[in-house]
Amino acid sequence: MLKNYIIPGLLFILLSIFLPGTQGCALPPAGQATSPAEIKDQMGRSVRLDKLPQRIISLAPSNTEIIYALGLQDKLVAVTDYCNYPPEAKQKPSIGGFSTPNIEKIVALAPDLILAASIHQKQIVPQLEERGMTVIALAPKSVNEVIAAITLVGEITHKEEASRLAAEMKSKIKVITDRTNNLTETQKPRVLNVIWHDPLMAAGSGTFADELIRMAGGVNIAGNLSGYPSISLETVIAANPQVIITGVDMGTGADAPLQFAQTEPRLRNIDARLNYRIYGIDTDLVGRAGPRITDALEQFARYIHPELFPENKR
Amino acid sequence: MSLPPGLSSQTPPSHLVRWHSRIYAIAGLFVLLIVIAALATTIGSVKIPFLTTCQIMLSRLPWLHITPFWPSGVETIVLEIRLPRVILAGLVGAALATAGATYQGLFRNPLADPYLIGVAQGASLGAVIGFLLPATWHGMAAGVIPLFAFTGAIISTAIVYGLARVGKTLPVTTLILAGVALGALLGSIVSYLIISSGEKMHSIIFWLMGSFSLSQWADVRYVLPYVVVGTGVILLYARRLNVMQLDEEQAQQLGINVERLKIVLLVAATLITAAAVSFVGTIGFVGIVIPHAVRLLWGADHRFLLPLSVLTGAIFLILADLIARTVQAPTEIPIGVITAICGAPFFLYLLRRRKRVIF
Repeated sequence: MLKNYIIPGLLFILLSIFLPGTQGCALPPAGQATSPAEIKDQMGRSVRLDKLPQRIISLAPSNTEIIYALGLQDKLVAVTDYCNYPPEAKQKPSIGGFSTPNIEKIVALAPDLILAASIHQKQIVPQLEERGMTVIALAPKSVNEVIAAITLVGEITHKEEASRLAAEMKSKIKVITDRTNNLTETQKPRVLNVIWHDPLMAAGSGTFADELIRMAGGVNIAGNLSGYPSISLETVIAANPQVIITGVDMGTGADAPLQFAQTEPRLRNIDARLNYRIYGIDTDLVGRAGPRITDALEQFARYIHPELFPENKR
Repeated sequence: MSLPPGLSSQTPPSHLVRWHSRIYAIAGLFVLLIVIAALATTIGSVKIPFLTTCQIMLSRLPWLHITPFWPSGVETIVLEIRLPRVILAGLVGAALATAGATYQGLFRNPLADPYLIGVAQGASLGAVIGFLLPATWHGMAAGVIPLFAFTGAIISTAIVYGLARVGKTLPVTTLILAGVALGALLGSIVSYLIISSGEKMHSIIFWLMGSFSLSQWADVRYVLPYVVVGTGVILLYARRLNVMQLDEEQAQQLGINVERLKIVLLVAATLITAAAVSFVGTIGFVGIVIPHAVRLLWGADHRFLLPLSVLTGAIFLILADLIARTVQAPTEIPIGVITAICGAPFFLYLLRRRKRVIF
């Protein structure tokens, strides 16, 4: 019975190693809508849109957040089980899990636009297209691409709110990077973003957290590893992070990684612990390629450089 | 008339030669275990000079006075991360190998492993339930997962035992079948829970494949008593296990209380497996490969098979964990992957080299 786990387990690990890598290659920025409407989505696919979408299905929590932020909720027909923000999204009908959407249910709802994510590329998107569905994939790999994704949805749905939101996000970024760009390397604290404590997993390069740490003027001590690697405790002690930011699940209140960072006896002598610089941040804020990613950036900036960003959250 | 070669007056009888070679093997493996444990403590993802790690370890011996010249972080790494981890790996390896050898002897079945009668499936189900509990439970105690895993292992084995029991006897075939059937049932529940576990899936799969990544002295303190007592009891029954190899009826006629022997050995082997599994996850392959490797090298006499399995299992898992934490450092690989990748080819090599029937 161990075999039952080893094979899916290995697959799972292999997938988590290779999936981000294969999609990292040369993603074109969000395409411009050409009339009648030939859209280039974030996985490089060309999609024809004949009319303005009226029935939208979101296959990812981040997509749902974008739809609400643009005021499109009345056109949103269904979401996934994991779409919990804004809270009213939970009232929408569900088409199943984020990675396991129910194709039948989607088809039955007769959407004229499906917003997919990168994990749906291999299986879900082809299946939906075979059934004549219109699918646009939002697959941002960086904060700028998140803004591009929002702009793309705005273009498809003719929502001017998108350009306002994009400008607001850009200005939030600028406020932070204007101050952190001038920092010398010695002024940048060593930061560790703990995703989970058992096994100890950190955010490495290619993740939003890594980009946020760098934008906020820190050095990610797991930045030489890619994805979400499991990292040994002794590496953390040797790297001696000055700031530790842990994922906290606001939905369930699970703060096990935060408690671990605050109480694990073997971390007692690292700088972050000695200076009480261990923080928790909502994992949904950091991990979702949605409009709140700049809010996550603001929190990172306050945690990493409290002297530069003393003001309270608006 | 010439004497057969084994009985000539110059050389000792051949069975004595074998006896001596096994005593030497036990002594040799014991020394090797100490050397490998010490060596494994000096190696890790963080490079610490070999001599410094030795001095750090020696500085804790009461009669040696070494003034610390190393940073406290380095001492934490050696004494609080690597050393408990190496010792726990050794204990778990010893436990799984001994339990495997015991089950194989008791069931007279070469395919028996420590997980045959539902320990792993029970532990997995317990652990997965522990993972899925609301977060507030995890805040209460750090050891929710081990507690649930241990309880699950004991309960499932007790169910298997209860199902297999016929009157006052415990037919071995019924026991194995009940174990396999209940294991399949629990395994499917575990699979279902994993699929619906969402974000916790990664942690659960890592646990199921086994990991020593956060091992600490507290874990060693929990596991040690079970392994020492359980292994001790099993070692005391080694001679009776030899007699059991004949046939249950003959063993009974030779004055062995077969049913009591079964219960004692089952309880002991289950307890050490459950204790080991509940802290580090279901590490595969050790329990089946190590006893067979020992049998191939030194024969099937349980008086030697069992202690040699204890030592070989400990050495094997310490080495496997060393590979798991260094080969892709600072990233760690689940140890179950290493035990299978290293264990299977080595075992096949042994099997081919000694082309004889071993069981």
